[in-house]
Amino acid sequence: MSASPAPAIEAEGLGRDYGSTRALGALGLVVPPGALVGLLGPNGAGKTTAMLLLATLLAPTRGSARIFGLDTRQRRTAVRRRLGLVFQETSVDGLLTVEENLRFAARLAGLGGQAARAAVARAMSDAGLGERRSQPARQLSGGWRRMVDVARATMHRPELLILDEPTVGLDPEHRERIWAILDAERRRHGTTILFSTHYLTEAEPADRVVLLAQGDVVADGPPADLRASVGGEVVEVDGPGAASLVSLLRDRGAVVSVRRTDRGLRAGLVPGRARPMELAAGVSGIERVAVRHSTLEDVYFTKTVAEAE
Amino acid sequence: MSALSTVHGIVARDLLRASRQTSRLLGGLVRPFMWLLLVGTGYSAIARLEGGGSYQAYVLPGIIVMAALFGGMLTAIATVYDREFGMLRLMLASPAGIPVVLAGRAAAATVVAVIQGGIVLACAPFVMPVSWPSAGAAAGALLLASAMSAMLGLLVAARLRSVENFAGVINVVLFPLLFASGALYPTAGMPPLLRALARVNPVTYSVDLVRHALGQAAEFPAATDTVVQLGVALAAFGLTALLFDPEQRLVGKPRPRA
Repeated sequence: MSASPAPAIEAEGLGRDYGSTRALGALGLVVPPGALVGLLGPNGAGKTTAMLLLATLLAPTRGSARIFGLDTRQRRTAVRRRLGLVFQETSVDGLLTVEENLRFAARLAGLGGQAARAAVARAMSDAGLGERRSQPARQLSGGWRRMVDVARATMHRPELLILDEPTVGLDPEHRERIWAILDAERRRHGTTILFSTHYLTEAEPADRVVLLAQGDVVADGPPADLRASVGGEVVEVDGPGAASLVSLLRDRGAVVSVRRTDRGLRAGLVPGRARPMELAAGVSGIERVAVRHSTLEDVYFTKTVAEAE
Repeated sequence: MSALSTVHGIVARDLLRASRQTSRLLGGLVRPFMWLLLVGTGYSAIARLEGGGSYQAYVLPGIIVMAALFGGMLTAIATVYDREFGMLRLMLASPAGIPVVLAGRAAAATVVAVIQGGIVLACAPFVMPVSWPSAGAAAGALLLASAMSAMLGLLVAARLRSVENFAGVINVVLFPLLFASGALYPTAGMPPLLRALARVNPVTYSVDLVRHALGQAAEFPAATDTVVQLGVALAAFGLTALLFDPEQRLVGKPRPRA
């Protein structure tokens, strides 16, 4: 909606400690307006802390952040006016109906009278909540409650949406619905979206993925670049002879990364450098071998789990 | 505009919630009427009051304040539930900021307290003669008592960590405030220590102002009652703003609300 020249998000050395525990080290991040950015990482990696810091809900221990050029500590009110938030846990009042929940949210966003009514009606329509408008929220399934959260976060047309695991625990149908709403927000209004997820396929369409582990950024870039960084292809080798095959591949200069799983080894390869299927035929103790394109899951495991010997 | 809209939203939500919690609503009304009708009738039979009035008439101002005190404080303390179940997070993320959110909670609790105390006040003519000017003055006194109760409730909620402490608050905070206030018996007949406690208890001044309004003998000038209550309300709000930890429970996982 806005053609603000300032980045949507600018974080410099942003970090937060809880007592002696370092939750987020020093996040550096510049996100242009309209971008879709995924924040990935294991539980406790610092994703939620990063989002709460950017949303002005936590004070940083170190560093600074600006949202559309506005400092998150000094211009808190102005920053919040531009934000739409979905928290990791649903924020829906079970005693209120769907419409009353949204009307409450509209008031909190500073909308009153006709503007609030119009925003509520539009949000319910966009989220497919029209038939459930008079239903007490406690009667909704988890998926529909999450739809209320998303409708609430988008109803005032924020310029930046911060979504902490918006689809966690949802069935594919509701996940699809939520992403359809978010895609429409980006397409129609140029909304910038920062989201976290454990469903790594959801991060594939992102313009950029930031991978956190133990409070530090361990990978950052477009998904294609990240996938390439662990090897364009991945060979999955199971069985006691897995290490021998990987060793042969390594001798040919084909191995970019290796990680151990409960079933065997996963080696990222430079495409075309070696023929793992042919090599496997000459190695004993191979129970299964398969070659596939690398995914963000490979990036996730390779960057967040120590590389196999 | 944003501040007004936020306060409006919080008050409207709390009233909707209150209207749907029928057991809580009924409990809030049964308690004062039980005192007025059961305890009041029993005491009327045995108590000898100066001036020869009935005990029910004597205790009426205290019961009005009791209804407001419980309604206001318990609604304000319900902020702890909102913190526990994730709704407070939503309010704190609003552009209006923490003081406005707290003011919204206080306004909502005040409205609930005025409604609960107002229902008892509306029944006053069944207990004693009440003129329209007296009723108007009592309504003003009720509003002040309600606002003070709401602010005190917020102050308790500011540092209350979990809903498990909620029942304890009633026993440790609400009952002592009520029993050491002159709501149910004259403070003049209390032992010196209890009388001193009653003097520093802000609820004493709430009850006293309602007595003024309803034309009963009062202990302090009406101006003193008013100033003390305003002072306590403002001090409680200021302290709440200082003590309130906006980050509490932001990172921990709230429970899903039923």
